[in-house]
Amino acid sequence: MPTDDHVTDLLPAYALGCLDEEEAGAVVVHLASCDTCRAELRTYQATCGELVHVAPTATPSRELKGRVMAAARQARSTQPAAASPSLPERIAGLLRLRAPAWGAVGLALVTLLIVSNVWWWQRSTGPSAVTLDSGMRVIDMAGVGAASEASGTLVISDDGEYGTLVVDGLPSLPADRQYQLWLIRDGQRTNGGVFSVSLEGYGALVVASPDPLSSYPGFGVTIEPAGGSPSPTGDQVLAGTL
Amino acid sequence: MADADYAALDDGTLIRLIALAREDALSELYDRYVRLVFSLALNVVGDASTAEEITQDVFVRVWEHATQYRADLAGVSTWLTSITRHRAIDALRRTGARPDRNAVTWAEVAPAEEPAVGGPEVATTLALESARVRAAVSELSPEQKQVLVLAYFQGLTQSQIAEALGMPLGTVKTRVRLAMQHLRAALGDLALA
Ligand SMILES: [Zn+2]
Repeated sequence: MPTDDHVTDLLPAYALGCLDEEEAGAVVVHLASCDTCRAELRTYQATCGELVHVAPTATPSRELKGRVMAAARQARSTQPAAASPSLPERIAGLLRLRAPAWGAVGLALVTLLIVSNVWWWQRSTGPSAVTLDSGMRVIDMAGVGAASEASGTLVISDDGEYGTLVVDGLPSLPADRQYQLWLIRDGQRTNGGVFSVSLEGYGALVVASPDPLSSYPGFGVTIEPAGGSPSPTGDQVLAGTL
Repeated sequence: MADADYAALDDGTLIRLIALAREDALSELYDRYVRLVFSLALNVVGDASTAEEITQDVFVRVWEHATQYRADLAGVSTWLTSITRHRAIDALRRTGARPDRNAVTWAEVAPAEEPAVGGPEVATTLALESARVRAAVSELSPEQKQVLVLAYFQGLTQSQIAEALGMPLGTVKTRVRLAMQHLRAALGDLALA
């Protein structure tokens, strides 16, 4: 990443979550490969974390604690069946929160997905890769190994050129590690881009690929040193096939 | 373990015990942070019963997902407030309420804190931290505070803020940037502690 291309001026607003979609997309893409800006971002995120203290102090009703403890007991006893929201709900929430923010391409793709009820229905009952009427392909990526609770969705545009990966439930990594997507064909693994996830485990990547994405039958995500590796070196956390 | 012992534990240890399903640990975490969580939620949604629902949601979520907490990335209170803010802004958007620049208030003077229920050490730390943040914020211009309020408590983007205030987008961007730079400088050591 060229050093004159930093997104320094956008980082305060990005940390606050108030950048508009297009700029936020540019920041996400830049952060994926720039340690300097990631470190700078962390300082602004810490500042944001302090803003909570300016809310005037208020106290909830005394009964609330009893309700919280009862709800916690209930949640524990019904896990895992009803505990977590469905993937559609989570992606919808992700879009509303813009956390992480989306590149314009990814936003358009996923918005289309969310209005596609057919796809949601297929997802719960059908195969792990689905082609929509629009020609877009949707590939489920399942958590593997220690990340078995994670999930991912890779959306490939109708012309097979563009892709967006959305992940959920992946653990946040230390500053010197990032997730890396691999495009797999004939036993070869090609870099599809690196990404980080939020504290809540959400992440997104606008996939960069030398060849059309539809020409790769397999996809995987591994943990790598920040900035990525030429070929996989770390534990695999997600896997999917076209 | 008796209640008194839990009060002596640090936040990270409490979270580890919560991950092991120790209800007493959740109870202690609640006592320490419920006012912070509730105050934030209330300041976003403006309605006590919705703010209580969000507060309940946050603590239940912590109970269910304590294993996902990463101490190397954020302090427990930052983790809690980040979840709270997202939940609250989400709830605000669901109601479809129009952005109201007057709906949110800043507390700028160090308040006379009621004694908190949690351990005295945590309560003192929170009170000191809160006083420093409020002092730093009071140094911002009214215009800078206004854009921060709309971004932090109402979840508006910079263009939505520009529209709500009827001012050029470039002006909003500059105010956000300068306000955040000032706060980062004023709170640097605190925020990274
Ligand atoms: Zn940079």
